[in-house]
Amino acid sequence: MVLARATKLHKTYSLGKTKVNVLRGVNLDVQQGEMLAITGASGCGKSTLLHILGALDKPDQGTVSLGGEDLFAASTWRRDAIRNKDVGFVFQFYHLLPEFNVLENVLMPRLVGTSMTKWFASSRSARAKAAEILDTVGLKDRLKHRPKELSGGERQRVAIARAIMNEPRFLLADEPTGNLDAKMGKGIMECLRGLNRNGQTIVLVTHDPNIANQADRQVRLVDGRIEA
Amino acid sequence: MYKLFLTFRYLISKWVAVFSILSVWLCVAMVLIVFSVMDGFLDNIKQHSRGLLGDIIIDNSTLQGFPYYEEFSAYLKEKMPEEIDVVTPVIYSYGILREPVSSFTKPVRIVAIDFDSYCAVNNFRESLYYDRYYPDTTSLGLVQQPVAGIDMKGNSILPERLEAAHREYLKNRDEDKVDHTDIAEPDYRSPHGVGGFEQHFGLPGYEGNPLPGIIIGTDVVFSRDRNGVYNRNILDRGAEIVLTILPLTSRGTIAENPIPVAMRNIDDSRTKVYEIDKICVYVDFKLFQEYLSMGPLERVDGSFTEPRASQLLVSLKDGKDYNKALPKIEEVWNEFLGTLAGNVTRYEADLLSGVGVDTWETRQQAFIQAVEKEKVLVTILFGIISVVAIVLIGVVFYMIVLQKTRDIGIIKSLGATSVGVAMIFIMYGAIIGVIGGILGILTGTTVVANINEIQSWLAAFNPSLQVWSPEVYTFDRIPSVVKPSVIAAVFLMAVLTSTLGALVPAMKAAWVWPVKTLRYE
Ligand SMILES: Nc1ncnc2c1ncn2[C@@H]1O[C@H](COP(=O)(O)OP(=O)(O)OP(=O)(O)O)[C@@H](O)[C@H]1O
Ligand SMILES: [Mg+2]
Repeated sequence: MVLARATKLHKTYSLGKTKVNVLRGVNLDVQQGEMLAITGASGCGKSTLLHILGALDKPDQGTVSLGGEDLFAASTWRRDAIRNKDVGFVFQFYHLLPEFNVLENVLMPRLVGTSMTKWFASSRSARAKAAEILDTVGLKDRLKHRPKELSGGERQRVAIARAIMNEPRFLLADEPTGNLDAKMGKGIMECLRGLNRNGQTIVLVTHDPNIANQADRQVRLVDGRIEA
Repeated sequence: MYKLFLTFRYLISKWVAVFSILSVWLCVAMVLIVFSVMDGFLDNIKQHSRGLLGDIIIDNSTLQGFPYYEEFSAYLKEKMPEEIDVVTPVIYSYGILREPVSSFTKPVRIVAIDFDSYCAVNNFRESLYYDRYYPDTTSLGLVQQPVAGIDMKGNSILPERLEAAHREYLKNRDEDKVDHTDIAEPDYRSPHGVGGFEQHFGLPGYEGNPLPGIIIGTDVVFSRDRNGVYNRNILDRGAEIVLTILPLTSRGTIAENPIPVAMRNIDDSRTKVYEIDKICVYVDFKLFQEYLSMGPLERVDGSFTEPRASQLLVSLKDGKDYNKALPKIEEVWNEFLGTLAGNVTRYEADLLSGVGVDTWETRQQAFIQAVEKEKVLVTILFGIISVVAIVLIGVVFYMIVLQKTRDIGIIKSLGATSVGVAMIFIMYGAIIGVIGGILGILTGTTVVANINEIQSWLAAFNPSLQVWSPEVYTFDRIPSVVKPSVIAAVFLMAVLTSTLGALVPAMKAAWVWPVKTLRYE
């Protein structure tokens, strides 16, 4: 079953007078429950594609449908809600909020998606859930720590915990191991594979073949298209 | 929910926010202080400028005054019985006050009044010192000096009339209304000048020959100590004092040689308008009309001149509007002039033709308007200050937004809307406005409440810091009341400006395009 389908995606950046055609008609299907790796040379547009798949960026042309819903035909508000509920992002540089502790960072997607009144009713269960997720990624003792007190691998695990807090249908990871040494990277990959085994759909961007090989399926982005 | 959460977290983790709070705090305190003082000043002026006038004033602003004032008073009351309450004549002149013992002299403005009706027209009575502590013992008629005696227990006692009056005062005293700058010493009998240390053993009584009473503007003779309390020791109640006057004829020439009039200091008046209190003395109307040769004088042909007064003060009955009464009174005046036609001398006609009718407000308009304009000016200045505060908060927040662009991108990637992100900073601004506003109001009201103490403290420290000069600002004390309406307005302004200052940075935050910031570390 297809969870997400990208059709004829085009994206162009203009740098002064020169135009960079990053995506030139990308077609891609992501199957429900699979772990897909997108590979390609540096600067070929992998991140751009991932952002468009996650409704964080807009294509110049083409459509993305997520579970049958056309992302870019929907309103901005709807896209914001989809990003909150249906998509989880993991970035190369973790991107945790430095003013908040680990637990609060993980709770953040839930906070964003909940109104004040509802929050007071549900905060207890949300906290319990966040703590449980942090337990599964092996950070049960670090709830009150600030991000800067953690190692890179631990930070990335917090980022993963945050990404799955709202049980998204779609987990998008952009070079999740790119900033980590081999050992820590391995831990992160195990963590993602574990999630995938439990049915989480994951799209992974990497230029490391070793990482890509751990995915169910690999596609390669060359010259702005998906190479078969 | 995340909005509040982020707002508060940024509030406590960003020390630059302290600067915005500080700027709001200081601005609010300053605005509150300056505005309250200005406002209090204006209120004081409005309140006190009515002070010793009546609702309506009739005069020709000359020293000679005008004749037929008695006839007109009667005529006016007859024509407008519904409106007119009291009409009282006043004579203004100038003289020299001399205290015989110390030979202290001072030029003074003489205000000759009919005590009872003058007190009925305005608040003069409330300004009297001895009349408050010894009610109904002040009059401008002939008096002797009261002298304290010693009773069986060795206590100083006053003549029974004064003792009875004081008991009356103590009975009706309202603690809240006691003006502590008035009272020189806890035992204020001796400073009242009735006892003193030259004890008269035996019975209290009255001494000296009966002389007409005079009420002296408090600041004419007395000065204050550091705490603002008047020292009345230098002139006892009932002490003899000489007022030298220069009588004028109806033509404005000096009628006779200067006349020294021996009088007794019966009371002192503090209207709290320094311009009045430092120069005016109050004497009996009938007596001084005669002394100043404004009374009926025999002409060579055996006929008499008409008595004159400088001014008529009119008070209206309760609830009557002086602005509505004014044209009617003007009309009555013109009618009255008609009835006189042909029966007046040339000089009298000249004096009468100069007579005008005004409300007290138009009389003091120039003064009131000047202050009102100052208030407008100050308000405009505050507008500019507010703009400065807005810009400052704007800059501080812009810094915060720039610093937090990546975090804003992260929050947006988690599904936050642009409006939501903008709200974080708008709420941030509003909270800074609330905190700064509350601190500023606390500071401002404290300063205003103690502004006179602060002033005297500063002045004691260095006399050049005496910024409030009673000569310039009319009132002897700096107004020190903060109105709740002013507090509310200033607080609202603070919250509004802070929110406004946060608006541009908030929009900047809303515009953050997440992918740009998330691509890099
Ligand atoms: N905002 C932008 N303006 C102009 N050019 C941009 C912008 N964002 C990205 N690009 C360009 O688009 C191309 C694709 O960028 P993208 O980050 O998607 O590549 P990538 O495959 O993820 O590279 P990497 O492996 O280094 O992460 C690059 O050449 C980049 O320079
Ligand atoms: Mg990339």
